Amino acid sequence: MKKTLAMLLVLCMVVALCPAAFAADEGSVYWLNFKPESDEALQQIAAMYTEETGVEVKVVTAASGTYNQTLTSEMDKSDAPTLFVAGNQAAVDEWADYCYDLTGTPIAEELNTDAYMLYDEDGKLCSIGYCYECYGIITNKALLKEAGYEVSDITNFESLKAVAEDITARKDELGFSAFTSAGMDGSSSWRFTGHLINLEYYYESVDDPEAWTSCPATITGAYMDNYRNLWDLMINNSTVAPSELATGGFDAQAEFANGEAVFYSQGNWEWSGLADKGMKAEDLTMIPYYCGVEGEEMAGLNCGTENYWAVNGDASEEDIQATLDFMYWLVTDAEASRIAVDTFGVMPYTNSAVSTNPFLANANEYASNGHYTMWWATNYQPNVDAYRAAVVSAMNEYNNNPSDETWATVETAFVDGWAVQYQAANG
Amino acid sequence: MINSTMMRRSLRRWFALFLLPMVAAFCIGFVWPFLHGLFLSFCKFKTTSKWTWVGIDNYVKAFADESFRYSFTYTAVFAIVSLVLINVLAFAVAYALTQKIRGANLFRTVFFMPNLIGGIVLGYIWSMIFDGFLGRYGTSIITDSTWGFWGLIILMCWQQIGYMMIIYIAGLQAVPEDMLEAARIDGATPWQTLWKVTIPNVMPSITICMFLTLTNGFKLFDQNLALTGGLPYIINPDGTSVHTTEMLALNIYNTFYGQNSSARGVAQAKAVLFFILVAGIGLAQLSATRKKEVQQ
Amino acid sequence: MNNLSSAKKIKTAVSIFFAVLCVIYVIPVFMVVLNSFKLNTFVKTDTFAWPGGEMFAGWDNFIKGMTFGNYPFYKSALYSLVITLLSTFLIIMCTSMAAWYINRVNSLFCKIVYFACVFSMVVPFQMVMFTLSKTADVLKLNTPWTIPIVYLGFGAGLAVFMFTGFVKSIPLEIEEAANIDGCGPVRTFFLVVLPMLKPTMISVAILEIMWVWNDYLLPYLVLDINEYRTIPIHVQYLKGSYGTVDLGATMALILMSIIPVIVFYLTCQKHIIKGVAAGAVKG
Repeated sequence: MKKTLAMLLVLCMVVALCPAAFAADEGSVYWLNFKPESDEALQQIAAMYTEETGVEVKVVTAASGTYNQTLTSEMDKSDAPTLFVAGNQAAVDEWADYCYDLTGTPIAEELNTDAYMLYDEDGKLCSIGYCYECYGIITNKALLKEAGYEVSDITNFESLKAVAEDITARKDELGFSAFTSAGMDGSSSWRFTGHLINLEYYYESVDDPEAWTSCPATITGAYMDNYRNLWDLMINNSTVAPSELATGGFDAQAEFANGEAVFYSQGNWEWSGLADKGMKAEDLTMIPYYCGVEGEEMAGLNCGTENYWAVNGDASEEDIQATLDFMYWLVTDAEASRIAVDTFGVMPYTNSAVSTNPFLANANEYASNGHYTMWWATNYQPNVDAYRAAVVSAMNEYNNNPSDETWATVETAFVDGWAVQYQAANG
Repeated sequence: MINSTMMRRSLRRWFALFLLPMVAAFCIGFVWPFLHGLFLSFCKFKTTSKWTWVGIDNYVKAFADESFRYSFTYTAVFAIVSLVLINVLAFAVAYALTQKIRGANLFRTVFFMPNLIGGIVLGYIWSMIFDGFLGRYGTSIITDSTWGFWGLIILMCWQQIGYMMIIYIAGLQAVPEDMLEAARIDGATPWQTLWKVTIPNVMPSITICMFLTLTNGFKLFDQNLALTGGLPYIINPDGTSVHTTEMLALNIYNTFYGQNSSARGVAQAKAVLFFILVAGIGLAQLSATRKKEVQQ
Repeated sequence: MNNLSSAKKIKTAVSIFFAVLCVIYVIPVFMVVLNSFKLNTFVKTDTFAWPGGEMFAGWDNFIKGMTFGNYPFYKSALYSLVITLLSTFLIIMCTSMAAWYINRVNSLFCKIVYFACVFSMVVPFQMVMFTLSKTADVLKLNTPWTIPIVYLGFGAGLAVFMFTGFVKSIPLEIEEAANIDGCGPVRTFFLVVLPMLKPTMISVAILEIMWVWNDYLLPYLVLDINEYRTIPIHVQYLKGSYGTVDLGATMALILMSIIPVIVFYLTCQKHIIKGVAAGAVKG
């Protein structure tokens, strides 16, 4: 009796252990994701892949503002991420040692453009973009009409300012504000320290394209006044008083969806959230960052990506292969790429699904009408978390006490802070 | 005596049961990480597996790091202010509660309660309160470093007064009744009794509490992280920034994980310096209590 | 007589003063209760107001608090509980045995171990955090079921110190008597020594429970945080989460996390206060 029982137990253990042992041979995927808002979709994709192929895909998302820290600690662990995000040249430089050379892999062959490839100094293809996106000022056309304007009335900063200030003047009568809240807490401040500021970097790069082919060691801040123009407009014509912004806790998306404001500084990924809240595509459009630069009537949206894949070259061979297979599947499988495209934006791969996102359509429209696309110069921000944290602090000071003096500090944080963080990262 | 030698011998045979588990865990959880950390403080490393020896370079950089020096001063000021406030208040409360007043037990229960709540949660609770309060005056705890400092002090007082009070009560209850009686008979005023009889007698408790608050102040991390996280920063004209409410432990943490990974060796060097500082305070406490014991 | 009544008056005044102080003292906790019933938008603007009328959110915040923040609250509470109980049990058992062994055998090795334990008490966690999290990961101590070993290792110092202090005071005669009665070391320890250690055990347990339950950085760095989060980690994560932080739901969550602590405190108050005093006086 005892013997049979023991045999049974052993059998159970063997059976229980076997699948695990086989799975280990096949390799598995561990994707360290950096965008909390896309976590849900990625989990779904991962589950789909596991169901289809039996290969385990683990997707882990770092809390916002902690990606670098999470990546650092995770990379030191025994089951380090096999797939991680190295979203800009600085990140590639930092992690080049760990990057698997993607040159000639099937996934790299699938790319339909060479715009989204990042190399290290030795020419190793470290990181490739898996989708690109756009951001700008999301506009509620229906509300704008209620206030008596059309989108076509807004063609530059002057006209944007006129509209926004008119709405503010008639705020009580209209029942809505011009801009949604610009919370400066961790959950929202990146919209301004990581997106809005792109206008400054971008116009700088137009003046000196040479300096911006890789991460510049210093920046000039020549367009900080333009950044201030738009920032002032956003905080002074908003649903919330500027002095309340620092502690955050606002829900800008809900404000916008509830029709409390006309303008909302965000990106195309907001579409699904806004659609869930009942907004219609025909009421929405995205306009460029108008900030008072000469010739900005021809501006387009900010397009680019931080969504760059890098494969951990230190992972086991099976894991690397499993990861490459997974990536290939994601950009070619109709259903999976559909979900990915709906979540992220456009995938620059030959066989991916086509995007239905209205804001990406706006981006295309601007581009095909001859407007210039503002590429994502913010991707170069050195030591991005520390850099932005300092900027947020300076901006809080300015919001509480707006003056030329406090703005000078904001400039210092943006401009000199860049140099300091560049030195820290590269020195 | 023979018996105890025999017992010792038979006990030794059970080494694997009695001592080994604790020693093994101790090596994993303390000895090895400690030595490894000490070693890495002399290396440049991103991850523990890839390091290069750089000698005392990290220590030189740590000392040259303005933010580290700032956080040291800040922490020292914080520790001393909280030491004085917490001990004075805790002693006053303990003294009053040992005067046989009505409801003393209830008061003691209430004052000690905040100790049960962890630093992160406490930080969250208090930031809600400070936000709600300061928001009316157009400021907040993360934009005004004065409020940041006093906010943290208020939080620490709220949390620690109860703890120190318990120790003081234990000390006060041990003051010999006949000494107090003798003082009363000699016509001493309560004030004189307090200074001449009570305080000298609770000196051991005072020493303990002083050192406890001092080390707690220096080691503070959770509350600091949750309440202000180092904000606001002062942006220097050269672009560097000083995290005005960042204490030592948080500075080390941020150097390790927040910034660029090439600073990790420096972070470990800072941690070693931090250890020397905290251990130094511990040793000072030890010698102080020893001295007291000898005198008595 | 006159003197006596004035003393009485003073005492009554002091009592009243402290009663008021106590009310002030519980205000922060009371604020959590208030705001946990408030709709999100009012927590910031009307922090100190009564959650009536349009502000009242009913139990919605509690329902939301159970699930929100990409991680269910009950899971983090469960892991907190598992880790705290396992760690405390492990620490008490291993360190009391070790302390007895150290004191009774008293060999050179024992002295070294004892000294190292005392030494570890003054080492701040930041000194070892980076390397400890690496070591714990290599040894797969990153789950709630194995992290108690890390706690035993890092927290052994104080416990060993407290137990050895007490073991010293136990007269050898009792153990010798047990020995004469034919008890080996194991039975002597478990049947004779352990019951005598009970007061110290409670003190140590209280201190460890308070430490482990509230600890943030160690589990944050050691645990596989995407699978396992403790309550402090969960709360800290809410702050960094994307989009909107629902303050009302956060307060409800915090309330749910401190209620068990307060219940624990009120039921074991005597032991807790005694344990704290004992730990402080010796540490």
